[in-house]
Amino acid sequence: MTDEEFRRAVRDWLADNLTGEFAALVGTGGFGREHEFVTERRAWERRLGESGWIGLGWPVADGGRGLPWTQQVIFHEEYARAGAPGRAGHIGEQLLGPTLLMFGTPEQKARFLPGILAGTQMWCQGYSEPGAGSDLAAVRTSAQLRDGEWHLNGQKVWTSLAHVADWCFVLARTDQRAERHRGLSYLLVPMRQPGVEVRPIRQLTGTSEFNEVFFDDARADPDAIVGAPGDGWRVAMGTLGVERGVSTVGQQMGFQREFESVLAAARANGSIDDPEVAARIADAWIGLQVLRCTARATLGTAPTGTGPGAAPGTEANIAKLLWAPWHQRLGELAVDVAGASATLAGPGYELSQAQRLFLDTRADTIYGGSSEIQRNIVAERRLGLPRG
Amino acid sequence: MRFGLDEAALAVRDAAAGLLAAEVSPEVIRAGWPGGKEDLVAAVWRKLGAAGVLGVLVPERRGGLGLDENSLVPLLEEVGRSGLPGPAAETIAVAAPLLAGPGLSGPGLSGTALAGVLAGETMVAAELGHGDLVPHGSQAPLVVLRAADGLRLYERAALPLEPCATVDGSRATARLLTRPAGGGTLLTEDPEVVETAWRRGVLATSALLTGLSLRMLGLTVGYVRQREQFGAPVGSFQAIKHALANALVAVEFARPLVLAAAWYQAAGAPEAANHVCAAKAAASDAARLVTRTAIQCHGAIGYTTEYELHLFAKRAWALGSCWGSPDWHRARLASALGLSELGLSDQQGVSS
Repeated sequence: MTDEEFRRAVRDWLADNLTGEFAALVGTGGFGREHEFVTERRAWERRLGESGWIGLGWPVADGGRGLPWTQQVIFHEEYARAGAPGRAGHIGEQLLGPTLLMFGTPEQKARFLPGILAGTQMWCQGYSEPGAGSDLAAVRTSAQLRDGEWHLNGQKVWTSLAHVADWCFVLARTDQRAERHRGLSYLLVPMRQPGVEVRPIRQLTGTSEFNEVFFDDARADPDAIVGAPGDGWRVAMGTLGVERGVSTVGQQMGFQREFESVLAAARANGSIDDPEVAARIADAWIGLQVLRCTARATLGTAPTGTGPGAAPGTEANIAKLLWAPWHQRLGELAVDVAGASATLAGPGYELSQAQRLFLDTRADTIYGGSSEIQRNIVAERRLGLPRG
Repeated sequence: MRFGLDEAALAVRDAAAGLLAAEVSPEVIRAGWPGGKEDLVAAVWRKLGAAGVLGVLVPERRGGLGLDENSLVPLLEEVGRSGLPGPAAETIAVAAPLLAGPGLSGPGLSGTALAGVLAGETMVAAELGHGDLVPHGSQAPLVVLRAADGLRLYERAALPLEPCATVDGSRATARLLTRPAGGGTLLTEDPEVVETAWRRGVLATSALLTGLSLRMLGLTVGYVRQREQFGAPVGSFQAIKHALANALVAVEFARPLVLAAAWYQAAGAPEAANHVCAAKAAASDAARLVTRTAIQCHGAIGYTTEYELHLFAKRAWALGSCWGSPDWHRARLASALGLSELGLSDQQGVSS
């Protein structure tokens, strides 16, 4: 299939399927809106899975479609253009799946990949803890193998979608005597069991998409460990190296749409005649081009670190240092354009698009590695500066 | 011009600071949000009234302290720092001195209103521009509005006000469905008094913003001193130190501007209008930087509602955009300096 034929196929499928029960999902989900229409978005995941739209780049032998990156990009472009809902299954497809492809045993792949590909199995990521945020290696949740089972005790935090996930991949300390990175293991833990409790965290947006997850003697199968015991840090970090910027294409289409909505609002209320606002809109447009060109320059090229054992590349770190502050400034511009009306909320603390853009983006420079941590990584790995 | 506060200003500031520090707990700040215990907020206002500070701009013969903007700014900075809910700028800086204006001492709405305001029993909302949103208009029993002939005082119940939910839940904003043509009590027809009232509202809001900024900085410094990552307090890392130092510098630059604007205004200097614009622009910008920095340095905890930072952050965002946004004040300043005739919207302000 040529790229153009593929694009048409994606576009047609989305047009045919974002109808009926799924029509209402257009524009829902994504960061800041993960709490929306969760049941319906799970049904949408199954629809995607049935039709073979999950695991496009995964090897055919593992159940994927083995498509070239150009067609993966096309899929993300068309998906974003159609306003299709934020993926509820992205943690499984984009984080756990690639990890299993790289480090999993044949049995683990056979057990877990089909559910991810079918869109029936939801995952969440159990990394951060109250005492282990930027310093992830300070993880204290413990896992001990006793009586043929892993027993987990501890607390995770900022866990997106934990309240709907079936499974959690957990970074836990399996060797209490080992220091920091050593002694950590990567475990696959079922969420629906008596030893797991999920409590929602209310964010300043008034909504809850993050959770606290408490493990009180939660259990996992003895073979539910990815990599060897004590190898969890390498496994967790290995996935970071596979980011090729393909999934950022959809993100940038979303940014483009947000930019256009801010521009339209500024035109509609005349604030665009304010030279300061006009200059900031122009800056936002320039920034968007920087994001796009940088992504295109790296898209399809091999990341600087690929595969097990290689030090992860810095493309994703640099990309985040570009987009997170850009997105934050766009949010500030959006509420400035809206003016006094931006101080109002709707019933039940319902927020406008501009307000969500502003409030959600306060977290952009924090989650997934804060800007400070990203700068450290770029300085140390790319520039070779000494570690502090 | 001296930047040191005189004895009267220091006395007012210190009296308020001690009281507010003791009385305004996070519980009181949250009580200003919908469904909160309003009594808790009202009790603190009455204590401020008993301390006499609400009449800072009211002449002594009318029961006030008879002071000027030089004392107003340090007082409002303390109110801002405390997080006390309610229309502080509108009640203390705008309404109280208007209610004590000449010819308003007889019986009638304004005569009884002044006593209530000075005692901390009555909060007053004010909308001196041309907007239809009245902060605290669903909370304060009295409202000052700009009318064709000057400023008028209304009982809230007599106005077509529709309560609105707000991002900063303590704003108690209402939408004015139609602006009354007359009615109420005429407070002043004098354009100079109207302009003074506007500038006092701007100054007071600027002071609230620097106070809020200092509070958020203090909260953040406290947090980064005790939060440990990589085996050390995160405040020991240069990235955090530099960010907080930049935030501090922004506030430290804004504060003298606000004080200077107050001095020019109190002295009746012709350049006061420009300095008031500069003060609000700098205080709003500083507050926005401090807010962003405070959330960033807290990390994810600062993004939750369980933690108190969001209460101050949302207040700062709201105050930054009212009484003239920084863009509006910069445009007004640019115009006054002969730089540009562009960019002046008539959405805000009384002189535009």
